[in-house]
Amino acid sequence: MVERQSPLEPVLQAGSHGNFEHGVDIILSETQPGSIVQLAAWPGEERRLISGIRTVTGLALPDGAGGGSTDGVKSVFGFAPGKFTVVDEAEGLASAFAGVVTPAIGTVTDLSHGRTAIRIAGPKAEWVLAKFFAIDFALPAFPVGAGRSTVHHDVFAQIQRTGADQFDIYVFRSFARSFWKALCHASEEVGYEVQ
Amino acid sequence: MLITCPYCGPRDVIEFTYQGDGNRERPQPASQNLDAWNAYVYDRLNPAGDHNEIWQHSGGCRAHLRVVRNTLTHEISSTAFARGGHKSTARHKAEGKS
Amino acid sequence: MSPRRTDAGGRIDRLRTIRFTFDGASYTGHAGDTLASALLANGVTLFGRSFKYHRPRGVLTSGVEEPNALVTVLRGEVREPNIAATMIEIHDGLTAVSQNRFPSLAWDVSAINQLGGKLLSAGFYYKTFMGPVFGPLKGTRFWMFCEHFIRRAAGLGRAGTAPDTARYERMNAFCDVLVVGSGPAGLMAAKAAADQGARVILAELEPHFGGSANWSGEVIDDMPGADWAARAAGQLEGHDNVRLLPRTTVWGYYDGNTLAALERVTDHKENPGKGEPRHRYWAIRAKTVVLATGSFERPLVFPGNDRPGVMLAYAGERYANEYGVLPGDRIALFTNNDSAYRAALALKKAGAAIVAIIDVRPELSSEMRKLAGEAEAEILSGHAVVATEGGKALSGLKVQRFDMVSGALTGDARSIHADCLLMSGGWSPTIHLASQAGARAEWNAARQAFLPPRPTQRWPTQQWIGAGAFTGSFSTAEAIAEGRAAGLSAAGAAGALSALPSVEAAPGDPDPAPVFEIRAKGKSFVDFQHDVTAEDVRLAHREGFVSVEHLKRYTTLGMATDQGKISNIPGLAIMAEALGKPIPEVGTTRFRPPFSAVSIGSLAAERFGDIKPERLTPMHDWHIANGATMYSAGLWYRPMIYGHAGETIEQAYVREAKATRESAGIVDVSTLGKIAVQGPDAAEFLDRVYTNMFSTLAVGKARYGLMLREDGLAFDDGTTWRLGEQDFLMTTTTANAGKVMQHLEYFLDVIWPELKVHVTSVTDEWAGAAIGGPKARPILAACVTGTAVDNAALPFMGIVRGKISGVPVMICRLSFSGEMAFEVYCGAGYGTHVWEALIEAGKPFGLVAYGLEALGTMRIEKGHVTGAEIDGRTTARDLHLDWMLSKKKPFIGSAMMDREGLIAPDRLELVGLIALDNRPLNGGAHVVEVLDEANPHDSIGHITACCYSPALGKHIALALVKGGKARHGSRAFVSDPLRNRFGPIEIVSNHFYDPDGSRMHG
Repeated sequence: MVERQSPLEPVLQAGSHGNFEHGVDIILSETQPGSIVQLAAWPGEERRLISGIRTVTGLALPDGAGGGSTDGVKSVFGFAPGKFTVVDEAEGLASAFAGVVTPAIGTVTDLSHGRTAIRIAGPKAEWVLAKFFAIDFALPAFPVGAGRSTVHHDVFAQIQRTGADQFDIYVFRSFARSFWKALCHASEEVGYEVQ
Repeated sequence: MLITCPYCGPRDVIEFTYQGDGNRERPQPASQNLDAWNAYVYDRLNPAGDHNEIWQHSGGCRAHLRVVRNTLTHEISSTAFARGGHKSTARHKAEGKS
Repeated sequence: MSPRRTDAGGRIDRLRTIRFTFDGASYTGHAGDTLASALLANGVTLFGRSFKYHRPRGVLTSGVEEPNALVTVLRGEVREPNIAATMIEIHDGLTAVSQNRFPSLAWDVSAINQLGGKLLSAGFYYKTFMGPVFGPLKGTRFWMFCEHFIRRAAGLGRAGTAPDTARYERMNAFCDVLVVGSGPAGLMAAKAAADQGARVILAELEPHFGGSANWSGEVIDDMPGADWAARAAGQLEGHDNVRLLPRTTVWGYYDGNTLAALERVTDHKENPGKGEPRHRYWAIRAKTVVLATGSFERPLVFPGNDRPGVMLAYAGERYANEYGVLPGDRIALFTNNDSAYRAALALKKAGAAIVAIIDVRPELSSEMRKLAGEAEAEILSGHAVVATEGGKALSGLKVQRFDMVSGALTGDARSIHADCLLMSGGWSPTIHLASQAGARAEWNAARQAFLPPRPTQRWPTQQWIGAGAFTGSFSTAEAIAEGRAAGLSAAGAAGALSALPSVEAAPGDPDPAPVFEIRAKGKSFVDFQHDVTAEDVRLAHREGFVSVEHLKRYTTLGMATDQGKISNIPGLAIMAEALGKPIPEVGTTRFRPPFSAVSIGSLAAERFGDIKPERLTPMHDWHIANGATMYSAGLWYRPMIYGHAGETIEQAYVREAKATRESAGIVDVSTLGKIAVQGPDAAEFLDRVYTNMFSTLAVGKARYGLMLREDGLAFDDGTTWRLGEQDFLMTTTTANAGKVMQHLEYFLDVIWPELKVHVTSVTDEWAGAAIGGPKARPILAACVTGTAVDNAALPFMGIVRGKISGVPVMICRLSFSGEMAFEVYCGAGYGTHVWEALIEAGKPFGLVAYGLEALGTMRIEKGHVTGAEIDGRTTARDLHLDWMLSKKKPFIGSAMMDREGLIAPDRLELVGLIALDNRPLNGGAHVVEVLDEANPHDSIGHITACCYSPALGKHIALALVKGGKARHGSRAFVSDPLRNRFGPIEIVSNHFYDPDGSRMHG
């Protein structure tokens, strides 16, 4: 199988950067999931879609807008009314959903190539993200597993909190390199490591 | 200015796009009543006070919202999904109590 | 030993010596000094020259409101003008210079302006820059020539020209309670709210928390106020629900309790940390705001009140108590209220002699007499200062008996020898943020001040609570009580039972005497920074300016960088007196953001320099590696040409286009907007959105579609592929991708919510390569597996799926170049892999990569339209696309597209042009029937796109021309006076090349 090319390839430089002499407060990485799929339910079909998500991924979705969960391999979160992003380390998630999310329930859109997944972790993750997005990253306002749709200038982003100090950011592939460079730039003052 | 998206909660106005006067009514697609089309395409209310507006949360969930905004004070007295349906449990309401 | 540094006391670190320069001279100060306090300690009294009259000026205040002591700070090549010396923390290597003087601060030639003061009076600019309206210079530019020099003579610091290399950042913050100001009221509010568990941000514009507690000399909770403040700040720092922001000025109060603040992160550091921004712009969204912004002391208006050595009373007290600096050895005070007495005592204790306290009030309380006695000061009650003496420093003053009711001065003037005069004209609450938030200030006759309204009069979208001097409660005990109450209320809690911190403070009545001005001979300054005198205000009144807003604009009072923080109320009082009206009837101006100067860099933040979003296609690195010159199209970067060594742009695109038409060319089309349109009603939706039918499109086929706007004008075009019964892939033009997406979402959400259709942007999911030319099919045949690509398997507008070099691809046979052409799509992560495979397969066939220039050339030759023709003013008919307007169904725009103006015979229509003089044409040039180079007129249209056509060997263009088709074959001219290009043209069909499409259809 042909290897997928990352849009970050030329700019992703592993190692410590910025003001890291006293340790790094940020760890940046590209998670490169095999599958990123968008599922969207017709009005009134959300429950059936959510149960389909559980069938395929084993993940249960908590109630409420922007709810989500992750098991470290697969992740799911709501990002819009009736719409969910499902991510898997393995490829082939879209075909797995094709038989489960029937046209009567909603639609499946494969975005595995179209979105780039960037993980930001560390004690200053909230601090660095606050430089980009006008949303509240504090844990009570943005619990672990939850997802948010937001934007930084023209860069649309879906963000899932996958740990107390860890966020996975899904951006359009074409913007990924630019956004990565901006993230690195913004992380310099606290010291960061690229993995 | 903050707009409370029924899905995403209160967000800064930079995430939204104004999509026009929410009082307009689109004629039936096959209608040949040019006056009605003309009113729909060109006529806008411009009240000093509460105004029905359509906003899209373009930098968020992308849903269109019906917003009642006071043009004098910028006070927003209500927001709702333009399409109805999808009555999600609004997160921000639960949080507001905590 | 510095001449004016006290032996002990102050909050400075005397063990740390800091070296800096001012106007080239080296000085030392201590950690904790401001530039103002350090220079005062060194005996410097002259800080700058005034705006209009170039009068010598010293330092008037010790805070953010400083109007006089403005300096320019130099950092390498970068110069930042107009910074108040009172707000600059000194650090090793600080380099500051004075402003508005030539050749030097001490000897300034423009000081002669003082003699011509009458010429520079109120409304000077309005009167002067009208220019002569009669006489020999009328209508000449002579006055504009003079204006240059006049404007140069007046002014503040000069901006630099070197690029600012500093880093700036924007931060978003959320909190339950934002406390603005950290005096006793702010500290109490922050603590009370934090103790309730609220998320609190405390912003303080000075480097240290504590406000007046740091210099008032008061005792709070049985310890010096400064220690109490430091302890309170330390306790707050320990809370993880509190964010402390020192050196942070909250400068804007916007709707929805959104506030803007500027944090000066590294201005006080010699060596900023790596990656540390110089300034941070904080956008703070607070549920509630506590305004504890304190108050500003006002000057008194009397002749010579601007002489170096004349200072506000609080400032003198602060220099002594906080910085260990005496502003003078022999100090006199001039006041209309009690607060100056505490200052007198503080300065006495610090080692100065208090020669006199001149008080406009005839009667003084016994408490004030006692304080004056402790300060060993002579009391001159019922007196006023009528003149000051000295040049670059104060040497003395003159006082006279003063009747504060009539304003009359009587008796002989008495001279007093003093090197410093401290004045106090009462206090004005710092209501700027509340005013920005819509609050209407109310005049309080007792306090002689505008106070913020009670919180019941809030603007609906802004929730704030005031506390302390901001509300007119000037005592520390009141500030502490109000601060705690505000903090509790902001956190949504009820009143607390525990005792409040005790306060030991000097006594004093908060209400001043209603005296703002002493009218005597000489210039009495109201606005120090803009050199507006009391006489200017009266002149404005005599000239008919009665509204306070007009007064402000005419005299420029309050319009300098300090925005009249200390001058507004005295100016207003003088205007009110001239009008014979009470102050509240004259009213006050509304404050606007920013509260104080904000760096432009902080507003641009990360958008500055190369950190702006760039959109790159999957094959971007290949393009760069293969010599592409990139072109920015919106946020996208696309190859313009792949130039060879020595080629011009035109040579390169002509070569690329020619090679494509002769053999084959390949172009990156990944930037085309791509929208997945999915669901049972997808076909029906497309029928409504496009002017032509899509429900009849077979699966596995594509169709060219046109969209109109609601008003009937053309909107966008592109092909849409039917991948499944309920699954379409729509393509849009690169430029309109976002707009089309919003258009579709709007109709699905707002107009037709009953349609079961989802639209998703999949632009980035797919890499796209268009390969065209006579050899395109053989190239595909050589590398595509899993499907045939011959005419039977892949007819025009057909779609097949197969693989290239192991990667799944979708291939649609469609053409923009006019050649037999195919668009090959694959997952974006495989884009470069597939692209390279195509390039490799094309080598034996002479395949070239081509860029936007060749793409544009071939589309012009074919007469296809793009955004240059679909410009928001053209209809489908204008573009000869009326064949696409279905008559079988309504669609968006169908009802409006036939309005009479849109079908008029004289509309501009798409045509082709050929230059008959064989010279290049220009976009935007007009088309005329009669050439008149001297006086071009009667345009019949304009050029939208042009190129040299290698296929025709001619310079050609597309144009929108009146009459359109009817003019085919006729002659006209281009008329382009701006670029001096005139010449004959022939009007032809827009289909220059292969009009019957035989090449494309094969």
